[in-house]
Formats: sequence, C-alpha cells, structure tokens
Amino acid sequence: MREDTMWGNIFRKAEKEDSNIYAVLSKVPIFSDLNKKELRAIERILHRRKYKENEILLKEGDPGVGMYIIEKGRVNIKLGKEEKLLAVLSDGEFFGEIALLSEIPRTATAIATIDTQILGFFQSDLFGLTETNPRMGNKILYRLAQMIAERLRFSNIENQQLKLKLSDLENKLKSRKVS
Amino acid sequence: MEYTVGRFLRLIVAILFLLVIGWLLFTLSNIIRIIIISFLIAYILDPLASYFEARGLSRNNATIIIFLTFFIVLAAVGAVVFPTLFNELSMMQNSISPEGTTVFISSIEEYIKANFNFINVESLNLSERINNFLSGITDQLLSILANVVSIISILVIIPFVVFFLLKDGRRMKKVFISYIPNRYFEMALNVIHKIDLQLGGYLRGQFTEAFIVGTLAVIALWILNVQYFIVIGVFAGLANMIPYVGPVAGAVPAIIVSLVNGGDATRILYIVIAFAIVQLIDNVVLQPLVLSKSVNLHPLIIVFAVLIGGQFFGILGMLLAVPAAGIIKVTSSELYNGIRKFNII
Repeated sequence: MREDTMWGNIFRKAEKEDSNIYAVLSKVPIFSDLNKKELRAIERILHRRKYKENEILLKEGDPGVGMYIIEKGRVNIKLGKEEKLLAVLSDGEFFGEIALLSEIPRTATAIATIDTQILGFFQSDLFGLTETNPRMGNKILYRLAQMIAERLRFSNIENQQLKLKLSDLENKLKSRKVS
Repeated sequence: MEYTVGRFLRLIVAILFLLVIGWLLFTLSNIIRIIIISFLIAYILDPLASYFEARGLSRNNATIIIFLTFFIVLAAVGAVVFPTLFNELSMMQNSISPEGTTVFISSIEEYIKANFNFINVESLNLSERINNFLSGITDQLLSILANVVSIISILVIIPFVVFFLLKDGRRMKKVFISYIPNRYFEMALNVIHKIDLQLGGYLRGQFTEAFIVGTLAVIALWILNVQYFIVIGVFAGLANMIPYVGPVAGAVPAIIVSLVNGGDATRILYIVIAFAIVQLIDNVVLQPLVLSKSVNLHPLIIVFAVLIGGQFFGILGMLLAVPAAGIIKVTSSELYNGIRKFNII
C-alpha cells in the first residue's frame, strides 16, 4: 500500500492523534505510574470536550466533580468577583484534581481564552476504575495522595514561615508600645 | 405583540411535540417494554461483569461468560422448572372446575346453613362465583405467559439487547454524555453518577430479595406438600416487593389452593407459620443485608404505582411498578438537586 493512499492517511492521522493523547496523559503526575496499556484504558474513560474562546469550563462555587487536563488550548484560572488572575494553563497542564477526592465547591473559575480541547477525568470514573481495575485505581490514588501530601508539606512550611513572621511583628509591636 | 404571538406559537409547537412523543410511546409500548426489561436486567448484571473485569477479563469476555453461565443455568433450571410451571398453571386452571371445588364449597354452604340459617345459600350461588373468579385468575396468568410477553421476545430479543447493553453500555453512556452541552455537562455527569449510586443498590437489592424470598417460599411450600408450589412461590417472591400488602398477597394463594384441595385448619396454620418464618428471615437477615435505605418510597406511592402499572401494562406492569417508582423518584430528586447546586435555574 502506498503511503499517500486514503486509508494510509486516515490511519496515520488516527495514530498521531492517539499518540498525542498518550503524550499529554503521561505528563500528568497522577498517571505517571501507568504503562501504555493502562493509559489506553484511561483514554477510554476520559471525556473529551471542546470549548470555544471565552467559554466557562467551571464556575467558582459549583460542586467539583473531577479534574480537567488541557489537551490543546489555553485556560485562565480566575478568582472572585474581581476576577483576579491566578494562573494561565496550557497544553498538558491540569486543574481541579482535588474534586477527584471530595465534592467540595470549586475554589476558582476556569475560562478558555482560545478554542480549547480538554480531557475530563471524573470522580465517578475513578471510583468505577477502583472497582473494575483495583491495581490501576490504586496507582492513581497513590499518586494523587502523594501530590496532595507534597502540597500539604509546602503549605505547612509556608504556614510556619508566616507564623514566625507574625510573631516577629507582634514582638516588634509590643516593644514599640513598651518604649 | 409579536413577542406574545411568538411565544404562543412556541407553546403550540411544544404541545404538538409532546403529543407526538406520547403517541410514539403509546404505539411503541411493546418495544419500550422490551427495552425497559432489558435495561433492568443489564443494569442488575453490570456489577457481575465489572467483577470479572476486575479479575482481569476484558469486558467482552466477561459478558460472554455471564451469558454462557446464564444460559446453562437457565437450560438446567428451565428443563425442570418451566414444564412444571406450565403444567401447574394449566392443572390449576383445570382442577378449579366445579368437581375440584365442590367438596370445599359445599362444606362452606353446609356451615352457613347450620349457623346462619337466615341466609338463603342457594341464592348466593357461591360455587359458581368462586369458580368463575379462580378460573379467571389462572386464565389471565396463562395469557400473560403465552401472549403479552411473547416467547420470541423473551428468548431472542431481550437476551440480544441485554448482551449489547452489558458489553457496550459504558461506551453508550459516554457517547450520550458527549452530546450534552458544555454548560450542563458537569451537572449531568454528577446527576447520572448519583442516580447510579442510589439506584444500583436499590434495584439489585429489590431483585435479590425477591429472588431469595421466592426461593424460600418455594422450598417451604414444597416441604408442606402444597400443590402448585412453584407458581405460588414465584408469585410470593415478586409480590414481596410491595410493602405490607405483598407478604400477605403471597400467602393468600397458598391458603386458597390448600383450602380448595380439602386442606384442614392445621395445614393452613402450617402455611401461615411457613410464610411468617420466610418474612422473619426477610426482615431480620435479608433486608438489612441487601436493601439500600436511600430510596424510601412511601407505601401510598407504591400502592398507586402498582395500580397505575397494572392499568397500563397489566400484571407485568404491576411487578415493575415498584422499581419504576424508585427510578422516577431518584431521578427527579437528583435532577432537582443538581439543577439547584449548579445554579442552572
């Protein structure tokens, strides 16, 4: 079969698209322990969604149901009524992973700034996975726990530093009052 | 002005659309019934397929194994149970002839004559009335098995649909979800998941309970040597889904059959005790184990659901009314919660 036949092109395109997904997925920390076969299983349960420029992906205050991985495009993460820009995320980056564990309200709003294609991985799919394929489910949950533990450690350090600064300030204030 | 005309036109289009949907539902009610039954069976079997998947099988192989096992069990059980079931039903119909019940009814008539001689027994025409009533019931039972759900749909179409729903259900769900607009997508996903969590436990619980109670009733009636024990036991299992009335409705046919066949008071007492034991096992052991308490249907709702089901779909409708009411309750309440939580309206 010649390279430029219609079928050849169709298959080549499909392969290219698939390998793109795997490249994106393998960069996401919670999937980093999975092999290619397992990534293929993940790809089957992910929801691919397309958003137009300025379309809202998720709104602050809505219940969280899962995480989003940006396959292609750009997303702004904004906070509060004043829409303070927290982050600009693009290809391969992800957000909303806490919602995989708990249905707490979303802490920020995500808006697509250009036409964006995302992959949604949801709590229900993760729970389903832990039932149908516990080994794989465990690998993902372990990575998720590790990621959150790491974040907690950073927050603790930050918290301690802030406490130190606060007590310093309090001490300074006290000494000023005394003098 | 134009705005109002536009709204009026839209309303008319909406009403026409609903009428067309209603007409379609009515015309296709047989096919819809098959789809609903297949969907229920596939939904109940889904965790089994997932269990095999967890053991390392592919979804296709898991589905094939479930079907092979199911057909082998069905063939084995069918070879024994179905001929007996049909036999029992037709025997029931034949034996409830004037000769079969004369002894019992004439003894009642004698009793009335002796104790309440102010009643004119002949004018009551007891024997004919009871016979007509009983043969009416069995006629209906037979016609359900033979006509309403035709053998072809039971043996061919339903397993066919169940197979593909079980094998490709997850993919179908994903395709369905992909058509939901972005704005409603998260809410829809959340609502579907919540409904699945609640209904899964509820439906599987209901059917497991009905199956075990039915089996226990069949065994008890077989030990007590009651005629038509399989038919009555199966009926008792299914009737058990209806609270309060169900357990009694399950015992009554056994008592009637026993009376018609000249059973005495001790025999009836045994039957009552047997059903009481089955109920005790159900209440103490089964219900806490299998029933999910999340779907609390008020008994009044269940009674109305059973009546409506009976009105539209006959006895099959009555039996499917309880799970259907559960599905409607969970779906509407979760949909309402979802819409409120996601601030959609």
